[in-house]
Amino acid sequence: MLFAGKQAEFDGVVRAFSVELYRYAYGLCRDRFVAEDLVQDTFTRAWRAWDKLEDDKAARAWLYTILRNEHARLFERKRLDHDEDQDLDEIPDLSSGANPLPGLEVRDAIRALPEGYREPLLLQVLGGFSCAEIANVMRISEGAVMTRLTRARIAFRQLPGWERQMRKKSS
Amino acid sequence: MNCMELRRSLLVNPRLRDREQQMHARECAACHAFAMELEGLESMIEDAVRVPVPEALAERVILRQRTQRSGRRVLFALAASLALAIGVGMHVYRGVDTIDEQPIAATSLGYQNPAVAAISYVLEHEPQLLRTNQSGDPAVMRDALLRLGMTLPEDRVKVRYLGKCPVPGGTGEHLVLATPSGHVTLILVPDRSLGTRVVVDFRGRTAVSSPIRSGSYIVVADSLQTVKKLEQM
Repeated sequence: MLFAGKQAEFDGVVRAFSVELYRYAYGLCRDRFVAEDLVQDTFTRAWRAWDKLEDDKAARAWLYTILRNEHARLFERKRLDHDEDQDLDEIPDLSSGANPLPGLEVRDAIRALPEGYREPLLLQVLGGFSCAEIANVMRISEGAVMTRLTRARIAFRQLPGWERQMRKKSS
Repeated sequence: MNCMELRRSLLVNPRLRDREQQMHARECAACHAFAMELEGLESMIEDAVRVPVPEALAERVILRQRTQRSGRRVLFALAASLALAIGVGMHVYRGVDTIDEQPIAATSLGYQNPAVAAISYVLEHEPQLLRTNQSGDPAVMRDALLRLGMTLPEDRVKVRYLGKCPVPGGTGEHLVLATPSGHVTLILVPDRSLGTRVVVDFRGRTAVSSPIRSGSYIVVADSLQTVKKLEQM
């Protein structure tokens, strides 16, 4: 009976969070097949450690942390290469492409954000996490989270044509 | 709260507004416009990150967890069949004479046959998958293969694509391999039998669907000769 309860609880958590976790995974890896694998692996790990989860309310942030670790493990080599090119002290210039597109899709712009900026943005927009919670998931300071979110949004505001897109959306 | 403080806080989280912020935005036209602009941007970001989610994702997660819970048998079968399908596939069929087998026409099997359907899938989806897939990085591929417990004869075979594809009754592991004989598609179905061995010609391609231990595999290539070369590799 105890096991059945645990299974039901797990099933409920999978149904509640698999969609947003998939979107977070997709935001990180930008591949739908890898994203699904990441979600599968996240829940597999979560099930194995289910007994360690003391507070049900913490399940969501815990799952995001597991998924983030799974992604980091999978993309470890790629991440190291990427970080060398990434200067988080600078506001990313998303308009630096050879041909700035007036109709640049926001999805492309998110994709173009350095991972260090994209990640807190995804956690905030998809997960609705506070800066303190994001800091906890990303293991960085709350101040660093605030700085990265600010710079990510400044980068979006510098996109050529984004105002036009916004007008188009609101019309 | 002054203009700078309000703008800083809005850039951190445009959705989070306390009474003080709201009051300032009401009284300051420039900050009000800034807040509206960021809110519009936020809506666009929210729309962009809400990508379509694969159908029945939760059910697949639960199914896999339950299958694994029942033992490590399935995981073992997955690893074993993946390795066997690529490395020593033909050994499973020592008792079956496949040397003289000839492809049969798709019309005699029907378009729902797994081998026939695989050819259609390869022709219709693979070019796009190969173009857009971003996990084609060799390092990422190696990681993915390791996660699946696979080993490839790396001197002869390179994985160009690794993902999932539909097969009758579920999904299969979809690999596109660059071999000395050209591109070959390998679809692994670790936990389901797709029936007896079938060799079929359809739309200029040849596919073999074959049972292997607890599951099945499908190989699609430009000729039967290429298919068999992979099976014997």
